[in-house]
Amino acid sequence: MTQTTDTPMVELRGVKKRFGDLEVLKGIDLRVDRGRIISIIGPSGSGKSTLLRSINNLEVIDEGQILLDGVQVNRPDLKGLAFERHINHIRQNMGMVFQHFNLFPHMSTLDNVTLAPRKLKGMETKDARALGMELLERVGLADKAEAYPSSLSGGQKQRVAIARALAMRPKVMLFDEATSALDPELVEEVNQVMKGLAEEHMTMLIVTHEMAFARDVSDWAMFMDGGVVVEADTPERLFSNPEQERTRHFLRKHLGSQSSTSA
Amino acid sequence: MEFDFTPVIDYFPTLLKGVGVTLLIGLAVALLSILGGQLVAVISLYTRKAVNWPLRFFIWLFMTTPLLLQLYFLYFGLGELILIPAIVVGILGLGFHYMAYNADIFMATIRSVSHGQYEASRSLGFGHLRTLRYVILPQAFYRALPQLSNNMIIMVKDISVLSAIGIGELVYVSQYAISITFRPFEFYITIAVIYYLINLMMEAGQSWIERRAAYRR
Repeated sequence: MTQTTDTPMVELRGVKKRFGDLEVLKGIDLRVDRGRIISIIGPSGSGKSTLLRSINNLEVIDEGQILLDGVQVNRPDLKGLAFERHINHIRQNMGMVFQHFNLFPHMSTLDNVTLAPRKLKGMETKDARALGMELLERVGLADKAEAYPSSLSGGQKQRVAIARALAMRPKVMLFDEATSALDPELVEEVNQVMKGLAEEHMTMLIVTHEMAFARDVSDWAMFMDGGVVVEADTPERLFSNPEQERTRHFLRKHLGSQSSTSA
Repeated sequence: MEFDFTPVIDYFPTLLKGVGVTLLIGLAVALLSILGGQLVAVISLYTRKAVNWPLRFFIWLFMTTPLLLQLYFLYFGLGELILIPAIVVGILGLGFHYMAYNADIFMATIRSVSHGQYEASRSLGFGHLRTLRYVILPQAFYRALPQLSNNMIIMVKDISVLSAIGIGELVYVSQYAISITFRPFEFYITIAVIYYLINLMMEAGQSWIERRAAYRR
């Protein structure tokens, strides 16, 4: 398949996902052009995390299509090892950052970052080390290269996790509530790293509870509720002048509580 | 009764040889039972019941029967069909016995590694097997270390049971020396002290390994 600059980086067509009887994604369509930053907001259980996890097949969708740079991610036609090979290859082009960091505790920070390029791309140890140090530098943690995750703060762990995801030179970064598990004073250091990526025009999908951050960093914001996209717009319009009552209600609750804590 | 340790000193080279045999068997059994235990645990956890039930039966068999019986069966029972050298029977018998116990430990510690670790590895592009190899099993191993090393300390003492099939380990060679010198008391005291020293060394090794492993869990 040929990819042109017009090919969206991520595209979802009629994506549906059920957990048992509960339909958590009820036909989602989404187009993310390269270099764009999309924030997905919504109440707990709205399906926003499931949507993000579906994009790299951590959740297997029941219907619809997901495409990364024109290549179909979900492939119901492939079974067993054939699908395993396909999805492993696809995932190397997507960086995923989790709420609970999920750093590998038995490896140093540097090894966490360099594991995938060494083992999956066959990169020489020396080159991987240089790459790892460059990425740790970028997230401000070069001095922690030899440290183990257990000695890092939550914010530091998440910054290492971002560096780890970047090490495979992904085409898109997926952030699943990257700052939700952090103490408030540690959120900013992670947000700064994400803003840095935004300035470099990394394509990003960000599931977040941080309304101010979403408004600040993204080009497009989506409000999800009950497994559907209720409203999607530029962050300026969505946050200041939402059209839907459900969006207004959600934002009143969240912006209200956030402004009261920051006041 | 007068103590006379002169015969012990005379036979000390023989005892040392017994110590050497005990330690070599210990090393072989440790390797076999730890590597094998890990393999058995992985197969039990990640394959279909139809595939892994013979393995589970095998574990159950080794955990529910006495070690001495297992050794007699392997050496004298199977010996009717095929002659296997005693040392091989000893290492295999003890190895399988502890493999069963170690597999149990590994199954628990593999399960204890959080699913998030698995997802993080898969999201980087690692397949199931490489995720096991680089992410899950190393963590399960570090978590298993305290119980594994306890098992290995018990195992070294169980090597004495191999004297029953004529393997020249520490207890066997001392029996031999006693049968010539008629000085059981002195010899038993001496080998008790030797076992104590071996234990002391293993415990030191255990805490060294655990100190190194603590921050990796």
